[in-house]
Amino acid sequence: MNPVVETKNLSKYYGNVLGLSDVSVEIHPGVVGLLGPNGAGKSTFLKLITGQLKPSLGQVYVFGQKIWNNPQLFADIGYCPETDAFFEDLSGWQFLTWMLQLHHFSACQAKEKANEILGFLHLAEDKDRLIRSYSRGMRQRLKIAQAIAHDPQLIILDEPLNGLDPLGRRKVIKYIRKMGEEGRTVIVSSHVLPEIEAMTKKIILIHQGKIFASGNIHYIRELIDSHPHIISIKCNQVRDLAAALIKAEEVIKVFFTPDPQEVQIETRQRDVFFDRLQKLILELDLNVEAITSPDDNLQAVFDYLIGEK
Amino acid sequence: MSSLAHLEKKKTLFFPSVRDIFKFYFFLGLNSRRSRLFLLSSIVPIVIAAIFKGSQILYGQPRFSGLFIYSNMIMMFFLHFLILIMTLFFGSSVCREEVDGSTLPYLVTRPLHKMAFIVGKYAASTLLVGLTVIFSLAICFLILNLTQLGEGGIYKVLARDAGVLFLGVMSYMALFTFLGIILKKAIFFGLLFSFGWENIIQYFPGQTQRFAVVHYLKSLLPAMTQEGFPFLLFRLEPTPLAQSILTLLGIVIFFLGLSCALYAWKEFIIDSK
Repeated sequence: MNPVVETKNLSKYYGNVLGLSDVSVEIHPGVVGLLGPNGAGKSTFLKLITGQLKPSLGQVYVFGQKIWNNPQLFADIGYCPETDAFFEDLSGWQFLTWMLQLHHFSACQAKEKANEILGFLHLAEDKDRLIRSYSRGMRQRLKIAQAIAHDPQLIILDEPLNGLDPLGRRKVIKYIRKMGEEGRTVIVSSHVLPEIEAMTKKIILIHQGKIFASGNIHYIRELIDSHPHIISIKCNQVRDLAAALIKAEEVIKVFFTPDPQEVQIETRQRDVFFDRLQKLILELDLNVEAITSPDDNLQAVFDYLIGEK
Repeated sequence: MSSLAHLEKKKTLFFPSVRDIFKFYFFLGLNSRRSRLFLLSSIVPIVIAAIFKGSQILYGQPRFSGLFIYSNMIMMFFLHFLILIMTLFFGSSVCREEVDGSTLPYLVTRPLHKMAFIVGKYAASTLLVGLTVIFSLAICFLILNLTQLGEGGIYKVLARDAGVLFLGVMSYMALFTFLGIILKKAIFFGLLFSFGWENIIQYFPGQTQRFAVVHYLKSLLPAMTQEGFPFLLFRLEPTPLAQSILTLLGIVIFFLGLSCALYAWKEFIIDSK
């Protein structure tokens, strides 16, 4: 299957300042999280794949076509910019209907779609207020609305959850996941790890204009062989289990926590360890309450990759 | 679904894009604070005309007729000040306000022909400014010629002057649209051009005055009488009517074409806030 977005050796320089360096990625349908700290190059990447910026080097293909100066592609692309900017003299409803009309929808169709999406994002009651009077959260929801109102196949959201209240976040996260499940391509950027984690397991880690890693979070874990994994086991015979595990070659450390029924181990060979653990559970007749991986989250991967751990 | 299959039927056509952009910016212009501000500024000549006519009615016949004041003062105020200032602010902001206001991403990520954005917004701004100016001019004309409204011939003067002003709005708007695309401080350079170059060069003798846009606009008007204005040392050496119109249309096409090409080629960096 052809990728929806493909970049080949993509680089962008702002004068002498590096924005993005030699990025080659393929993005297929589903939700993809673009993760990196502020200034990492996320927005530059998104502006390049939406044809707002011209690549200094390399190529960008969207739906198999070059995106620069190819506006017809935008019939199926929705973009939510990071900047909090609007046509402030319009009401939320006017803004949305005009944005839809710029997608060549008739006035009637635009009004119908605008009402539908404003209702979905809980803006229906305030739709006739001028945008300048909107709260930060309302403005953010309106930005998302204009990106999805025309029912695009490719949705690109730059920090979409900024300024949203917890309820709004949950709703938008749910919607993004639904879009991905429907076979659309959703690219979401964020510097907040739990946000991305809640939306997808497919991530692209970006830092200092370069892609550090991309793929499933577990796949990325496997890439980092030298990075030890911590696994926590809660059971009724923690000391017997610890005694058995300390002899295993793949186990580096064994810790006891304040919880008398918990033992934590550190390993570099996760799969081998889990095979052994299964056998030990049967041999020792353990009553296991929980097996968790406290550092199996994006923060751990990210910190490790950017060298902060 | 094949990634390309659903795109094959969708072509971004130039004229539908111009139409949609025009409609959007005309609506925006009618509702914007800036338009209201400029509408207020267009009331200034109406007030001047009303004061003049009032004093004429109250204190008897003055030295100059209403038509004379209209042609030599009011029309010159429009030509030398009002259309310049209005087209400067509207024209230079065709592209610049979208960049400075960070609203450009909403427009460049729509299926709109890129050049259509410039043409559509230019057309909307030209019509808005043109209507404002002509409305104000017509009111001034009616006030100053209150006693001659029954004479059919005077309306030809109004129609001619409205046409000249509209051509002026078209020309200056195209020029300032171009300035707004190539310069960050377009207003500053636009002011220098409007009240420096245009106001000085037009009084130069010989061919030099042909380097000012206003020269061609004035060439479309009857020669200004020197009665009462003896301080004017330099005279307009008018260009023939047809040549003036063609030159003004040429200015529009040249600067608008250049603006479109530049806008399509240039990338605009929007600062993240």
